[in-house]
Amino acid sequence: MIAKTRDTVIFSLNGQVTKVGGDDAFMTLAEWLRKRALLTGTKIVCAEGDCGACTVVRGFEPRNSKKKPVFAAMNSCITAVAQMDGSHLVTVEGLKADGELAPAQEAMRACHGSQCGYCTPGFVMAITGALEVLPNLDRKTAANYLTGNLCRCTGYSPILDAAQSVVRSPKHSLAARYLSPTIVKQLRDLTNIPLEVRGSLLGSSHLGSKTNTTAENNRPVFYAPTTLLEACKAAAKNKNARLVAAATDVGVQVNKGKALAPFIISLQHLAELYTVLSKGTSLLVGARVNLTQLRSAVAKSIPEFAKFLDIFASPQIKNVATLVGNLANASPIGDTLPFLLATNAVVHTARYAQGKINRRKISIQDFFIAYKKLALASGEIITAVEIPTGKPFRNLRLYKVSQRKDLDISAVSAALNIDVSTSGKISAASLAFGGVAATPIRLGKVERYLIGKAPSHELFDAARAMIDSQLMPLSDARGSDIYRRVLIANIFQRYVHTTLGTPAGASSLGPCRLTDELINSDASSGPANTQKAFTSRIATGGPS
Amino acid sequence: MKHASPPHDSSITHVTGESEYVDDRTMLAGELFVGCFYLKVAHAEIDAIDTSAALKIPGVAAIVTAKDVAHNAWGPIFQDQPIIADKVTEFAGEVLAVVGATTPEALRRGLAAIKIRHRTRPAILTIGEAITRKSFIGGERFIRRGDVDKALNDAPHRMSGKLVIKGADHFYLENQSAVAYPKEAGQMEVHSSTQHPTETQHVVAEALGVNFSDVVCIVKRLGGGFGGKESQSSPIAAYAALVANKTKRAARIVLTKDDDMIMTGKRNPFEIHYEVGFDKKGNILALRSRLYSDGGAYADLSTAIMERAMLHSDNAYFIANVEVIGQVCKTNCHPHTAFRGFGGPKGVAVIEGIIEDIARELKLDALDIRKSNVYREGHDVTHYGQVVENNRLPSLFNELEKTSDYRRRRSDISLFNHNVLTATNRFSPGAETLRGLSMTAVKFGISFTTKFLNQGNALVQVHRDGSIQVSTGAVEMGQGVNTRIAMLVAEEFGVSLDTIRVMTTSTEKNANTSPTAASTGTDINGAAAVLAAQKIKQRLSALALKLAIISPENWPSKTAGLGSFPEIEIDTLDDSPGLTDFSGNKIVIPRRKLSNVSSNNTATGQLKNAERFSISFPQLVNEAYLSRISLGEYGHHRTENLGFNKLTGQGQAFQYFSQGAALSEVEVNRHSGEIKVRRVDILMDVGRPINESLDIGQVSGAFVQGMGWVTTENLVYDNEGYLLSHSPSTYKIPSVQDTPREFNITLDHNPGNKANIRGTKAVGEPPLLLAISVWSAVKDAIRYVSERDADHLAFNRTHLLPIPATAEQTLRHLDPHLFTAPVIK
Repeated sequence: MIAKTRDTVIFSLNGQVTKVGGDDAFMTLAEWLRKRALLTGTKIVCAEGDCGACTVVRGFEPRNSKKKPVFAAMNSCITAVAQMDGSHLVTVEGLKADGELAPAQEAMRACHGSQCGYCTPGFVMAITGALEVLPNLDRKTAANYLTGNLCRCTGYSPILDAAQSVVRSPKHSLAARYLSPTIVKQLRDLTNIPLEVRGSLLGSSHLGSKTNTTAENNRPVFYAPTTLLEACKAAAKNKNARLVAAATDVGVQVNKGKALAPFIISLQHLAELYTVLSKGTSLLVGARVNLTQLRSAVAKSIPEFAKFLDIFASPQIKNVATLVGNLANASPIGDTLPFLLATNAVVHTARYAQGKINRRKISIQDFFIAYKKLALASGEIITAVEIPTGKPFRNLRLYKVSQRKDLDISAVSAALNIDVSTSGKISAASLAFGGVAATPIRLGKVERYLIGKAPSHELFDAARAMIDSQLMPLSDARGSDIYRRVLIANIFQRYVHTTLGTPAGASSLGPCRLTDELINSDASSGPANTQKAFTSRIATGGPS
Repeated sequence: MKHASPPHDSSITHVTGESEYVDDRTMLAGELFVGCFYLKVAHAEIDAIDTSAALKIPGVAAIVTAKDVAHNAWGPIFQDQPIIADKVTEFAGEVLAVVGATTPEALRRGLAAIKIRHRTRPAILTIGEAITRKSFIGGERFIRRGDVDKALNDAPHRMSGKLVIKGADHFYLENQSAVAYPKEAGQMEVHSSTQHPTETQHVVAEALGVNFSDVVCIVKRLGGGFGGKESQSSPIAAYAALVANKTKRAARIVLTKDDDMIMTGKRNPFEIHYEVGFDKKGNILALRSRLYSDGGAYADLSTAIMERAMLHSDNAYFIANVEVIGQVCKTNCHPHTAFRGFGGPKGVAVIEGIIEDIARELKLDALDIRKSNVYREGHDVTHYGQVVENNRLPSLFNELEKTSDYRRRRSDISLFNHNVLTATNRFSPGAETLRGLSMTAVKFGISFTTKFLNQGNALVQVHRDGSIQVSTGAVEMGQGVNTRIAMLVAEEFGVSLDTIRVMTTSTEKNANTSPTAASTGTDINGAAAVLAAQKIKQRLSALALKLAIISPENWPSKTAGLGSFPEIEIDTLDDSPGLTDFSGNKIVIPRRKLSNVSSNNTATGQLKNAERFSISFPQLVNEAYLSRISLGEYGHHRTENLGFNKLTGQGQAFQYFSQGAALSEVEVNRHSGEIKVRRVDILMDVGRPINESLDIGQVSGAFVQGMGWVTTENLVYDNEGYLLSHSPSTYKIPSVQDTPREFNITLDHNPGNKANIRGTKAVGEPPLLLAISVWSAVKDAIRYVSERDADHLAFNRTHLLPIPATAEQTLRHLDPHLFTAPVIK
C-alpha cells in the first residue's frame, strides 16, 4: 500500500461536509443517519433494499470526472458509510427550502399520499430523485421510479396521483442547492487520496466485523484505493479480502448476520472502471458501471437487454448496483447471468503478480464452476465484462418469471437466441437459464442438437424434452420444481413461436406434457450439498 | 386527484420525516438494545439454557429468561401463552431468552453465544394433522337456521368442496418495537407500537409483578398495524420492560423484519369444507359449512376470529337454511392473530367462490346469481337472527352494474376469451392471456363481537386561548382516526379544525380502553370525545346566556381579578345548548332566544335592544376560566343495542353493517399464471362520511392489501414450521406496479344510517373483503377454459383455486395437465 491514505470518510450531507471515521464508517448509512446524525426521517424496515423506506438521494462522479454529479435515489440500509466517500447526499430533512415543502412533499401531502407515514420519506425521496432528471412524471414513468418503494396503507393510487401532479420548483432543485461548483471541488480535493479506515474489534456492527477473534489483525478494514495497481496489490496481499463494487448483496448479508471477511477492498475510487467502451461488435462494461448507466448504454445496441433491465431490481438498486457485481455474486438466480451466458460475454480481469498487473480474459462459459464458485484466482479482480453485440443476437429474447411482476427475484429466467440462416437451417443457438440449477446454465448439448437442422415441430419438441432433462430445479419459496419446469417449457415454446413463427410443416405445437419419468429422475438428482446451499441462498434472498 | 376534505393531521410531518415513531426517539445515555433468542424448530422440550458465555461478551448487560418473569402468562382472550417460554417451545420463533446490550453488535454476539440443549418433539404443522389428532383450541361453535339436511336433500343441485385459504403477513412498515424507561418506585413508562395500549400496560405490569397503575403505556402513532399489533405487540413491550427493570436502564426493542415475520402470528389459515344446495336459477337453498382455522400454538384472538368468519359466511346473501360450524385448531405455528377483516374475509370468500362455481355449473352469469340471492325486503334476516338494517346491497349491485358497464364488458371478455381459446395454439400471438371479470360484495358487521369491548372514553381539555386537546384510547396508525375525531370535536364546538390537537394516546389519560380494531376506532372514541365536548359546551352555553345579560364591563375578564362584581354562577342543568349556536369560532344567541333567557333572569340591561348576542369562542373560554368553570371533561361511550349470544349463535351481533361492491377485471398469463388487475370499480357505503378523502384512502389501501392476500403473498414454511418467506425478497406484497391499472372508487350516497354517530360508517376493514373479487375474477377466467374442456372442468370441480391464487396455483388450475404433482399440498 502506498504511504499516504486517509482514515476518515468524507461526504457532503444536506450541503454540509461531513467526516466519519472509525467504527462509524462501517455502519450502514441508514443506521448512521438515524443514530449518529439524528436524522430519523430515513427509516429502516427490511434492511435488504427491498422496501425503499431508507431511500436517500446521492450525487457522485468518480475522481477525474469533469461531469457534474447528478442526484439519484439509493437505498441507505445496505450501504456502508465508507462507501459514501466523496458523495453528495441529501436526506428527507434536506428538502424544505425557506421553510417551504419541496414539490414531492407538497404533492404527497395534497394528494393524501401518506397514511401511516412510515414509507413516506422514502417515496418523497424517490420522487425527488426522479425530478432531478425529469421535469414531470406521467403514470408509467412515476410507477417505474417508485418500483423500489413499498407502501402497505394507500394502495399506491394516491401516491401515483401525487407523483403525476408534482411540478419542479427551481428553489427546491437539489442540484442548484447542493452541487455548487465550490462544494463539488471541495469534496473532490478532500477525497483525492486513498481511503483506509479501520474499525475496532467490538465497536462496529456492520461491514467487516463478523469475526469473534480478538487478534489485532482482525480489526475490520475498509480500503478504497485510487489506482487499479493499488487495488490489485492489496487483493494479492490480503488473501481473505472481500472485493466490493456497490456491495448491495454484501450489505444484505451483513444486515442478516452473515460472517464476512474483515478486509474490504472497494473499487469505488477507481475511475477507469466507470466507463462503457463501444468496441464496434462489443461493449466493454467497467466494473463500476451501474445498471442505470448500463441501461442507457445498451438502449440502442441491445434493446432487448435494456427492456429486461426495466423489470429487474429497483431504481434505488440499479442506481448503484453493477453488472459485474451481479456476475461476481454468481447467484443461480442472478438476473443478468443467462443473458451474459447466451451472448458469450467475456470477463476481463486483473491480478498483481511479478511486480505488475496481469490482465486476462475468461469466457463466461468457463466462469461458473459450482454454486457461487467462480473461475477466479486468488487476488484476481474483475475489471469489466465484454458483451458482444450485433447481428448474431438479433433473435435474442430475455425472460423472467417471478411471483410479483416487478422487483422480485425470479423463479426462473432465460436468455434464448436461435437464428435461422437463409438456407433454412438453424445457424446459431444459445439457450441459457437461471433458477434451474446451482449455477446459471447454458445448454450446449441442446444447442448443438439444433444447429444445422431445419426448424420443425418435431425438432423443437425434442429440444424441449432435452432441455427438461438437463434442468435440476428445486422447490423453494418462489415456486415448486415442477412449476419451474413448466415455466421453462412454456418459455421455450413461446420463444419459438414468437421469434421464429410456427415451424414449417407443424400444424400446431400441442401443450407440453412432462413425463413423470423425467420429473422424478431429475428433481432428486445432483449433489445434495449443492442443492442445500442453493435452497438456503434462495430462501434468504436479497438483491444481487 | 386532489381531494377537498382536510388532509391527515400528520400529513406535513409525514412528508418532512419529522413524525416520530418509537425508534425515532433519541437514545438515552446507557440505553440498551434488546433482541430475542428463539429456536427454528416447531416443537421441542428445553433441557437447559446456558447464558454464561453470552453474559461474558463485552457490552451484554442482561439476559432475561422465563424465571425473571413475575407472571409468565398472557393472552387477549385466554392467558395461555408464556411471555418467555420455559420448558417447552411450541413454535419456531417462540422467545426463549431476551438479551439487552449496549450496541447492536454486542447484542448480535450475545444472542449467538446463548447455548441451549433441547429435544425436538413431534409437531403439528397443518390443519389436517390437527383435525386427525383432535388438537383444538376452544370448543366447536355453531350458527344454525332452518333444516339444512332436508333443504340439501330437496335441492335440485348440490355441490361440495374444500377451500384452502393460507395466512398472510401484516407487513406493517414499522416493525414491532417498544422502548421502556424505568421510573422511580418500580414504575415503568413504555412507548410501544401497539394498537392496544391498555393490554400492553397490563401485560407489562404482570410481567414485572407491579400494579397496572405503575405502568404507563404511551403510543404516539404506528407505522401501520392492520391487526398485527392488536395483541402481539404486548409481549414485545414486555421484553423491553423486563430488561429495563433488571438493569434500571432504558431498553429498546426494534425487531428486524425477519424476526418480526418469524416470531409473530399471521392471518389465520383456514380450511373450509362445505356443501351447498341450489335451484336451477342459482338460488341458494342451503349451506352447510365447516370451518377449521389454524390458530397456531396459542389461542391469541383465534376464537373471536373464527366467530367473525362464521358470522360472515352469508356475506350479502340470504340463505334460508344454514349450518355453520367453526373449530380453531392448535398447531405448532406462530400464534395467528387479528388481521384487517378478522375472520370476515374467510367466510365471504367461501360464499363468493360458491357463487362463481354455481354460475359455471348452471352456465349463468354470476352477477345474476348474486342479485337473485342478495338480502332484500322479506329476505333480510341473517342466519344469526339480526335484521339487515339500512340495507344498501341491492342498490349497490344495480348501480355498480350500470356505472362499471358490466354487461358490455362481460360480452367483450367472452369474445376476447373465445378468440384466445380458439387460436391455433396457446403460443399464437394474442393467445397469451385470458381475462376474467367478477363482481363481489361486502356486508361487514361493525362492533366487536365481544360486547364489553364496545366502549370508549375520551378526555377533552379546552385551553384558555380556545385551543383544544383531545385524548382518547384510539391509536393513530395511518387510518386517520385522529383527523376524524378532531373533525367531530371541531364541529361540535363550532371551531376551526386547526384549534384541535389530538394528543398522544396514553394509558394515564385513557384507561380501560379497547384496542383500536374492528374498524371501531372513530365510532367509539369519536363518540366519547363528542360526549365530553357536549358536557363542556353545556357549561359554556350556560355561561354565555349569563354574559349576554351582563354589561361587558362587568364580565369576569374585567372584574374577576379585583373581585369587584359577583362571580357568575351557572346552572349546568340548563338546557342551554339549545339556546346557543356554536359555529364559526363564535357562540351566538339569537334575540328571540335571548328574550326567553331574560324572562328567567333577574338581571336587566341593554339586551332588549340587541339583535343577538355573540362572543368569540376563545373569549368565552377565558370568561369561563375566570368564573372557575371547568374546561375539561371526560366522556364515556357504550354502543347500545348489542346482544349476541356466542353459545346459541343468535342475536344482535353488530351495531350496523358497512357495505360495498366491487367489480374486478383481471388478465391471466396462460404461460406463467401471472395475474394482472386491469380495472377495478368500487362502490362503497360508508354512511355519511366524516372525511371522504380519508375514507377513499382506506378503500384503496384495504383493497390492494386484500389483493396481495388473494394473489402474490405466499407464506412458505419448512418442515420444521420455520417461515422461509420472512422478508420482502421472498414475501411479495403488492408493489406500485400491481395497483389496478384503472381504479375507480365511489362512495355511496347514504344518509340513512341511524345507528352510529353522525350517521357515519366504519371503513377500515370492509373494503379489504372486496379484493375477493380479484380472486373470483381469476376463477372466472379459468371457467372459460372449463366451458370447453371436460377434463379441465372435472379437475376444477374437485380442486378449488386456493387463496392466494399465486401464479403457480393459477397456472395449475389453468393447465392442470402440465403438472403431475398434487395440486394442493
